[in-house]
Amino acid sequence: MRQSEASVVPASWPRIGIPTLAVSSESTNQPEDRNHPDRPYPPARHPMIEVRNLHKTYGRLHALAGVSFDVPPGQVTGLLGANGAGKSTTIRIITGYTAPDAGWVRVGGLLTSQHSVRVRQHIGYLPESAPTYGEMPVAAILSYRASLHGLRGKARQRAVERAIDTCVLGAVRKRRVGQLSKGYKQRVGLATAILHDPPVLILDEPSNGLDPGQITETRSLIRRLAEGRTVLVSSHILPEIERTCDRLVMLARGQLCAQGSLKDLLSQGEHEFLCESKFQTHEAATRAAAAVRAIVGVQGLVAREMDGLVMRWRVSFDPAQAAEAPLRGIIARELALAQAEVRLFEREKASLESLFLKLMEQGPLEAPTQGPDEGSAA
Amino acid sequence: MFPLRSIGQTWTIAWREFVAMFRVPVGWLVLALYVGLWGVMFVQFVLVPGAPATLRPLFATAAWLMLPIAPAISMRLVSDELRTGSYELLATAPVGDLSLTMGKFLGAALYLLAMLAGTLPLVGVLMAVSQPAPDVGPILAGYLSVTLLGLLFLAVGLLASCLTPSQTLSFLGAMLALLVWLLATTVGRARAPDSVAQILAALAITDRLSGFAKGVIDTGDVAFFLVLTAWFVLASSIAIAVRRWL
Repeated sequence: MRQSEASVVPASWPRIGIPTLAVSSESTNQPEDRNHPDRPYPPARHPMIEVRNLHKTYGRLHALAGVSFDVPPGQVTGLLGANGAGKSTTIRIITGYTAPDAGWVRVGGLLTSQHSVRVRQHIGYLPESAPTYGEMPVAAILSYRASLHGLRGKARQRAVERAIDTCVLGAVRKRRVGQLSKGYKQRVGLATAILHDPPVLILDEPSNGLDPGQITETRSLIRRLAEGRTVLVSSHILPEIERTCDRLVMLARGQLCAQGSLKDLLSQGEHEFLCESKFQTHEAATRAAAAVRAIVGVQGLVAREMDGLVMRWRVSFDPAQAAEAPLRGIIARELALAQAEVRLFEREKASLESLFLKLMEQGPLEAPTQGPDEGSAA
Repeated sequence: MFPLRSIGQTWTIAWREFVAMFRVPVGWLVLALYVGLWGVMFVQFVLVPGAPATLRPLFATAAWLMLPIAPAISMRLVSDELRTGSYELLATAPVGDLSLTMGKFLGAALYLLAMLAGTLPLVGVLMAVSQPAPDVGPILAGYLSVTLLGLLFLAVGLLASCLTPSQTLSFLGAMLALLVWLLATTVGRARAPDSVAQILAALAITDRLSGFAKGVIDTGDVAFFLVLTAWFVLASSIAIAVRRWL
């Protein structure tokens, strides 16, 4: 590598002032090659956060089983999943709080297992329920956190003032955190996360336990903080994710269900029927499902037993092969032939809720194919 | 090995820890208890008409007095952070594990010094009422011994605090370990076979304190306390590092 490349931060890098994060100009599969601190790489070609084949067990519980996903720079990515899906474990591994049993994470090109302290320097983290020191005044906590990030003197003072202004904490700056409302505590947590102006923000359940007004405030604050940053925000509150995020990573039972832009993922649900019917026997339901699958234009059918003989189908179709109205008629005829009592038959509305439920029904994706660099680097 | 930035972070953690001790009631209670006990012993054993003007009786009982006090100081160092969840923020800050444990330890050490400073008026009283004034050497050596002993006990307490989120367990664990140490190297040593007794003698804390009480500062004794203290702080740092893998 030429010396000039080592000292220049590419113009396309998403944040100003983070040259130490940039690591490689080569498109290589070897993590070690990209870890040299002076090797910049174009962020357009590499995600800000790379998670590969993470495994983590707590006793007998397999919290993560081969999770892999990317978080591109400059976007807000939502980490979605039901309680116990592995969101917090994934976030704790990315932030270096805990180590994976297998797999690796790279933040800004740096392997967290090898450059833990440096990676942590470039991450702003808000843990779930924003724990902090209740006996300390707000300004003192911010000053303390700024010092831990190596800020001294006027730089520390400026960082504290900026965080107080950004998170609108001026009115409570001298009050002890333990005396504040939950909404204010959350703001203090966000202020500590942005103190050192990190290029990466990781927020674990930022709306947890807040009332609707506080949720709205926190949401707009997150949107403001996300400007020019890469944000990974975990939540199981779907409207939050829908309104805040550009991309989505969905986990279920410790495995990846889906990842992609919110728009792309939602468009998958545009050509689907949702159908709930009560059949007389299981055999009739199975026969009817097979008949529907055989209809020209039907791409797939995911069946879920709701209650006894009540089945919920998600029927996806290709509009290029079959128009919606005739297809609906054909499916209705098959249901009638099976003597099914149709309780619900509607075009699926493209919403995050429907996508979430669909993906929960489908379960995890196939295990990702491992590249040559995707072994355990931890 | 330990860059300037890490020293700054260590000091930041230490100062917060020191100040935090005075923001919670237990900090003031421990301080008051320690200084109060010194005062009672001072009146009982030192301020006796016709008796020699010396603080030796106080320094001689320092190990036993420090037995509950040091664990009471150290119990909240890491345990409390683990319990409240603030440890997650600390562990994800760009601070090395050694800086973290060193900071915690130094914070407690500063508090110990503040506590000992609270007993200095007793020295003033002794100076004022004694004729002639007592020799300053043994007093300084005595304070050095109590400081070294306190640092060692705090390091043991820090290790216990790194192992559990329960302050009570941390307190009891550290106190029990120290009690076993003191009893094994005093009462136990007398009944142990020669080979074991030699090892126990090498680890005996009270023997080394008696030298200080006479006003003799043996560098071997000082090294004994400092090396063991460093060992326990390092062990605490390893305990913190291992926690990431659990």
